[in-house]
Amino acid sequence: MTDLMRMSRRRLLATGGKAALYAGAIGIAPKFIRPGRAYAADALAPGMIGGPTGFEGAERYQYGAETPEGRAIEAAKQLKASGVDRIVLGLSDGSIGQLTQPFPAGAPSIKELWERETGITLEIVGVPNGQEFTKTMQDISTRGGAYDIYAVEWNRLGDLAETGGIIKLDDFVEKHRPEWDDPETGYVGGAKGVSLLNQYRGSTYGVSLDGDFQTWVYRTDLFNDPAEQKAFKDRYGYDLAPPRTWKQLDEIGMFFHRPDNGLLGSTDIRNQGWGYTNWYQRYVSMGSPNQFLFDDDGRALINSEAGIAATQEYIDSLAYKSPDAISWGWPEQYGNFANGGAAMTCAFSNLPKFLDNPANADSKVTGKIGSMLPPGREVDGGLVRRSVLWLNLSASISSQAKNPEACYALLQWLGSARIYAWMTANPGGYFDPFRLSDFSDPLVRQTYHAYHMDVVRETVERTVPTINYPGATAFHNALDENLVAALTKSKTAEQAMADTEREWQRIARRTGEDKLLEAIRTNKEAWPTIIDPIG
Amino acid sequence: MSVATVSQTAMAGQDTTARAGRDESARLGFRLTLPAQILVLFIAVFPLLMQLYISLTDWSPLSGRNWWMAWESWNSFYNYYDLMQDNRFWGALWRTFVVMIVCVPVEFLLGLGLATLFADDFRGKRVFYSILLMPMMVVPAVAGYMFFMLFQSGGPVNDVLSTLLGTRVAIAWLSDPTLALVAVMIADIWQWTPLMFLILLAGLVGVPQDQVRAATLLGAGPWQRFVTIVIPKMKTIIIIALAIRVIENFKIFDTLYIMTGGGPGVATETISVYIYKLTTQDLIWGYVAAIALAILLVLSVVTIWAMKRMAAAREVQA
Amino acid sequence: MKRSVSFELFRYAAILLALAVTLIPILWMVSMAFKPVGEWSATGADLTWWPQNPTLSNFRFIFGQSDSSLIVALDRTAMKPILSSLLSASFGTLIAMTAGTAAAYGLSRFGSGQNLPLALTQLRLFPPMAVMIPVMIMWAFLKLTDTWWGLALVYGIVTLPFAFWLMKTFFDDMPREIEEAGLVEGCSRWRVFTRITLPMMRAPLASAALFVFILNWSDYLIALLLTTREWVTVPVYMASLSSSMTGQLYGAKAALGLIAAVPPVIMGIAIQRHLVRGLTFGALKQ
Repeated sequence: MTDLMRMSRRRLLATGGKAALYAGAIGIAPKFIRPGRAYAADALAPGMIGGPTGFEGAERYQYGAETPEGRAIEAAKQLKASGVDRIVLGLSDGSIGQLTQPFPAGAPSIKELWERETGITLEIVGVPNGQEFTKTMQDISTRGGAYDIYAVEWNRLGDLAETGGIIKLDDFVEKHRPEWDDPETGYVGGAKGVSLLNQYRGSTYGVSLDGDFQTWVYRTDLFNDPAEQKAFKDRYGYDLAPPRTWKQLDEIGMFFHRPDNGLLGSTDIRNQGWGYTNWYQRYVSMGSPNQFLFDDDGRALINSEAGIAATQEYIDSLAYKSPDAISWGWPEQYGNFANGGAAMTCAFSNLPKFLDNPANADSKVTGKIGSMLPPGREVDGGLVRRSVLWLNLSASISSQAKNPEACYALLQWLGSARIYAWMTANPGGYFDPFRLSDFSDPLVRQTYHAYHMDVVRETVERTVPTINYPGATAFHNALDENLVAALTKSKTAEQAMADTEREWQRIARRTGEDKLLEAIRTNKEAWPTIIDPIG
Repeated sequence: MSVATVSQTAMAGQDTTARAGRDESARLGFRLTLPAQILVLFIAVFPLLMQLYISLTDWSPLSGRNWWMAWESWNSFYNYYDLMQDNRFWGALWRTFVVMIVCVPVEFLLGLGLATLFADDFRGKRVFYSILLMPMMVVPAVAGYMFFMLFQSGGPVNDVLSTLLGTRVAIAWLSDPTLALVAVMIADIWQWTPLMFLILLAGLVGVPQDQVRAATLLGAGPWQRFVTIVIPKMKTIIIIALAIRVIENFKIFDTLYIMTGGGPGVATETISVYIYKLTTQDLIWGYVAAIALAILLVLSVVTIWAMKRMAAAREVQA
Repeated sequence: MKRSVSFELFRYAAILLALAVTLIPILWMVSMAFKPVGEWSATGADLTWWPQNPTLSNFRFIFGQSDSSLIVALDRTAMKPILSSLLSASFGTLIAMTAGTAAAYGLSRFGSGQNLPLALTQLRLFPPMAVMIPVMIMWAFLKLTDTWWGLALVYGIVTLPFAFWLMKTFFDDMPREIEEAGLVEGCSRWRVFTRITLPMMRAPLASAALFVFILNWSDYLIALLLTTREWVTVPVYMASLSSSMTGQLYGAKAALGLIAAVPPVIMGIAIQRHLVRGLTFGALKQ
C-alpha cells in the first residue's frame, strides 16, 4: 500500500507544486486542529485504562481492561516487568510517519502512546519500499536478525511461513483474544476474512495492517451532464451510468475517450508490476461464482478460453487509455485524474482522500468524484462483480525475535479496532481502512469520504484474494511479464497464457505440489460468493 | 589481455636470478603472491562447491531448510535440463549479446573517431578532452536515474527531437520493447565511449610519426595511411580496449536495471538482470546455481581459448 | 602538420556535437538538483530545462532538513551512506591494492603465481550476480552482512584483477637497473621492494588506487545485496529515495548524484595521465 501513496504523492507534487499532498493530507485536518477544550491533556474517559487523549472524540479510541487493546497493553506491561524493553519493527520507509506523527492536533503519536503505556521502546527501522520482501527473505535466509517484526505484502505470508522464518501466532491469539472476527468491529467476512488476511494453512502467521482493495471511481460531473447523457443514449441505447459490466465499461470508456481534448476513457493501470491487478478482475469474473486460477488438483486454468478472452479484453481496452499506458504507474494515474484527465479509474481506496479534497488546490476534480462497484459479467443469470486484494501490508513476527509475545502484543494493539481506526485516519500514513469499525469511524469517514467508504465496504465483499501461497511472487511475475509482452504485442493473448501456464508448472514443481494444493484450497475458501442481480 | 606480459615475466624471472639466490626469490615471490591467491581461493572454492551442490537440488531459502540440507530436495540434473528449455534464460543471453554486439563496436568507432580528431593540437583541446571524459566519472546508478528521466515521453530527449524535427515528438521510449533496448544501449554508449576514446587516443598518439611521414612521402592519402599504418600499429591497444569493454559490458546491470528493471516485459532483461530477479524474487537458488555454473563453464572455455590464442599470436610476432 | 580550414571546421563541429551529447545528461542532473519539487515533472508535458526558482532544498533535504514542500521527513540522512561508501570503497581499494601490488611484483620479478593472470581475468569476467548467493551465505555466516568491512572485502576481491593488471604493467615497464644497484649494495629482495621499488612507483600506485577506488565507489549491485540498513551505500540509499517517500524524489536523487560525482571527478582529473598508461596495459611503449 505504501507504494500507492508514495507514488501518488510524487505526481501530486509534480503537477501541483508545493504542498499538494501536504494540503491533501493536512487539509482534512482543520476541523481537528483545535485541541478539544473540554478535554484535559491526559484525562481518560471513566473506566478506560488507556488510549489517546488530547483531542475531541479521543474517547472513541480509548479502551478498558477487557478489550483486545487493553489485554495487549496489560500483557506488554507484564513482559516489560520481566525484562523486555525493546521491539524492532521493520517497516516500509513511507509508512513510518503514520506511527510517528501525531494526529489529530493535540494527540500523541502511536509510538509515543505505546511507549508511554507499556514502557517498551518501539524502534522502527525503515525498509526501502518495494524491498520489503527481499530484505525480509535476506534476514531469514542469512539469519541476520535485524528485525523482530517484518511488515511484508500480504501475498507473501505463505512463502514466509514455509521458510520457518516467521512464527505461528496461534498460542498468542488464544491467550490474548484479538477479537478480529467481531461482527461489529472486526474483519469483513468475519472468521473467513481473518483466515484470508492473517492465516496460512489454518494457522495465524500475520496481523493485517492494511486494506488494499482495488476500488473504482468515476467523474460525477461527466456522468451527470445532460448533454453527455443524451449523446450517450443516442449512441448506445441505454442510460449513461456507472458501468455494471465490462462491456459497459468498454463502451463508456470509448465514449469519453477524447485524447485530443485531454480526456481518457478509463485509466485502470496496465504497467508492469501493477497492471495485472486489472487483468485479475476481468479474469476472475469469467465464472460464477468465480473463475479460479487453479483447479483443486493444482492445474492452472488460465490457458483456457476464459484466460485468453480476459487477456484479449485487457489488451483491447488500451484503446481508451493513454498511449503511455504501459508505462503509467500510480503517479501518472493520480496526476492525470487530478487534472481531470479521465472519466473513470481503478485505484487504491485513498484516491478520493487526496483528489476530492478542498485543500488540494491543484485538483480539478474536487467534489466531482463518485465511487462505484467493480464492473462485472453476466454468468448463469447473475452478475459477477469482482475486485482484487493486492499488496496489503501485514506484519509477522520473526523466529529470531527475542520476545515474540511482546511483539504479538504490539501487533494485536496496532491492528485492533480502536487503535487501527485512529491510525488509518491519520493522513500522514499509508495504511488504508479494512475493518468494519474503520468504515463507520467518523474520523476515517472524514478523511476518506463517507460516499467512498460505503462503496469500499461493498467492494470488500466482492474482493478476490491474489495468489498468497508459496511461490506467490514467482507466479505473479511470470503472469505479469507475459501480460506486458501481450500488451506490447510481442506475444498474442494465446501465447501469453500458454507461456504463463508453462512457467507456472515449473514454479509449482519447484515449490512442491503437495504444499501448493492445500494452500490453493484454503485460498479458494476465501473467495467471495456474492452474485449481484442482473440489471 | 595480459598476453602482453605472460612471456615477458618468465624471462624476467630468469635474468634477475643471476645475483640473488633462487631460493630467496622464490620464497619472496611466493609470499608476495600469497594474499592474492588466498583472496581468489576464498571467493572461488566455497562458492563453487556450494553452487555445484545446490545446483543439483531444488533448494530455495523458502524451503525452510538450511542449504547444507539441500539434498532433501535432490533433483539430479533437472536444473540443467530445465536450463536447456528455459526460453527466458536463452532470451536474456541473446539480449546480452545483442547489447554487446551493438554497444562495443559503436563505442569503439565513436571513440576512435574522436581520438583521431584529438590526435594533434588545437585550441581548447584540454578543456574538451576533460569534458568528454566526464561520463566515466558519473556513478552508473545516478546515470540510470538521469536517463530514466531523459527518456520519459514528455522528457528532454523528446523535447530535443521535437525542436530538431519541428514537430511534437512524444515517443514512449521505455514502454516500447525495441526502443527501451535502444535507450539502455544509448545510456551504455554515453557512459563508456569516453573510456574507448581515452585508451584509443593514447594508442594513436603512440604511433611512430616517422612511419606515417614516410608513407606520406610515398604518396599515401590520409585514409590509406590510417588503414595501412596507424591501425596495425594500434592493434594490441585496440584489442585491449575491446576486451575491457566486452568483459564489463557482459555484466551490464546497474544503469539498465534502474532505467527499465528489465522491462517492459522482458524486453531489456539481460543475463545479470534475469539472475537478479531469480535470486531476489523467485528465490529458486538451486536453479540460479545451475545457471551460474553454466555461465562460468562457457566463460572459462572462451577465456582460456582467447588467452592461448593471443599468447600464440605474440610469439609469432616476436 | 597543418590542417585545412574545412578540416578544422569539421573537427569543431564534430567535437561540439560530442560535447552536447556528453553534457545533456550531466547538465540535466545539475539542473534537477536545484529544482524545487514543483518543477521536477519527470513525466508530463510541463518540462522545464532550467530551474525557474533555484533552490538548495534538495541538498538540505538529504541532510535531514526537510522543508514543508518535501513533506516527508527522512528517517536517515545521506551522511551515513556517504560514510559507508567512503569506508567500504577506501578499504576495498586498500585490500585490492595491497594484494594486487604484491602479487604483481611477485609475478613480474620472480615469476611466482603463474596462474594469477588467468584466474584474475576470469574473476573479473564473471558476473558478480552469479556468485552472490554463496557470497550472501558466507557473509552472513561470517557476520559480515551489512557492515562496511564486509563490503570492503568483496570490493577488494572484485577489483583485485584491475589492481593486479595495472600494477603489473607498471612493474614490467620499470627499468630494472635501479633495483639491481640496490641488490649490489647488499639489500635483501624485500628491502629493495619496499625501500626502492615502491617509493619509485608512488605515482603509478596512486593512479591505480584511484582507479580502483572509482570502481568500488560506483558499485550498486553488490551493496544492494550485502547491506540492509546500517551501512547502505550511496547508490543503494539513492534507490531508497526513489521509492521510500513520496515517489521518486528526483531532485534529492540528483543532488545526491552530484555529491557522489565529486570524488571520482576530482580523482579522475588527478590521475588522467597515469590512467591512460595503466589502462593500455603495457601495450603502449614510450
